[in-house]
Amino acid sequence: MKKNWWKILAVLLLVFTVVAGMLSEVPRLAILNETIRNLYFHVPMWFGMILILLISFAYSIKYLKKPTIKNDIIAAEAAKVGILFGVLGIITGMEWARFTWGEYWSSDPKQNASAIGLLIYFAYLVLRSSFNEQQQRARISAVYNIFAFAALIPLLFILPRMTDSLHPGNGGNPGFNTYDMDSSLRMVFYPAVLGWTLLGVWIVNVKSRLELLRQRLYETV
Amino acid sequence: MKLFRILAVWCFMLCTTAGIQQVQAQAEATTTVVAEPEVEMADVLRQDGKIYVVVAVLLTVLVGMILYLISLDRKVGKLEAQLKDDLVNR
Repeated sequence: MKKNWWKILAVLLLVFTVVAGMLSEVPRLAILNETIRNLYFHVPMWFGMILILLISFAYSIKYLKKPTIKNDIIAAEAAKVGILFGVLGIITGMEWARFTWGEYWSSDPKQNASAIGLLIYFAYLVLRSSFNEQQQRARISAVYNIFAFAALIPLLFILPRMTDSLHPGNGGNPGFNTYDMDSSLRMVFYPAVLGWTLLGVWIVNVKSRLELLRQRLYETV
Repeated sequence: MKLFRILAVWCFMLCTTAGIQQVQAQAEATTTVVAEPEVEMADVLRQDGKIYVVVAVLLTVLVGMILYLISLDRKVGKLEAQLKDDLVNR
């Protein structure tokens, strides 16, 4: 139980996110209307994706320093969960965009860049599945993963900000403060980010333990 | 085979909900509006554009997903305990 306190925290934060996210007071803005509440569900998908892919990146570096099966498995499973978060982020973004920007896909710089970023990570999965030999697979996909993360950062955080974008905080000062977020939004937004990220980490945790068990089974059989 | 079974159940559910909706629509059409006196009712879930219903549904989905994840976590934990593996517990 002591080791699992963060799982309980994740549940509490997510319950808080849903309840407060739906019922709390939000700024009354034209066009956005109540969809501003998507901030608690769409944006944390991307924050969660970046943080979970950061875990994957870290374990890939760790694998190259110390090649254990565990490091490889955690890197791979975190990448998979990060991709899941990214896909959910892009779908929820399209749903939101349809009713605020008018189109599911307006070829907004950030939309395009995040789609490219996801394609880079899809290629990671394809690359991984194309090796039979475990060590070869682990080493080459670790190297690819490091480069994939290095490519993702400018795609999401730098390039969209060099041009005009429909996303807030872009086409000008890129700081987080340019989000027109007031304190009531932040009160729910930060717990939401933490809650969704912890949920992702939890899934990574269960999946990698399962994968390690599977590896162990193959070794003994 | 399993996929077919799931698909069949899903189609059945879809048809029944469509049927129920039709019946309800007919029922609504036949009732006439009568001015009712003020009677105390459980109105909370009908207040504020029924947003509380959405909260209840979202919570149900979330709790369902989390319970599923917890059960998976437990199953993996039991397997780990069975193996008593130094590789896993390293």
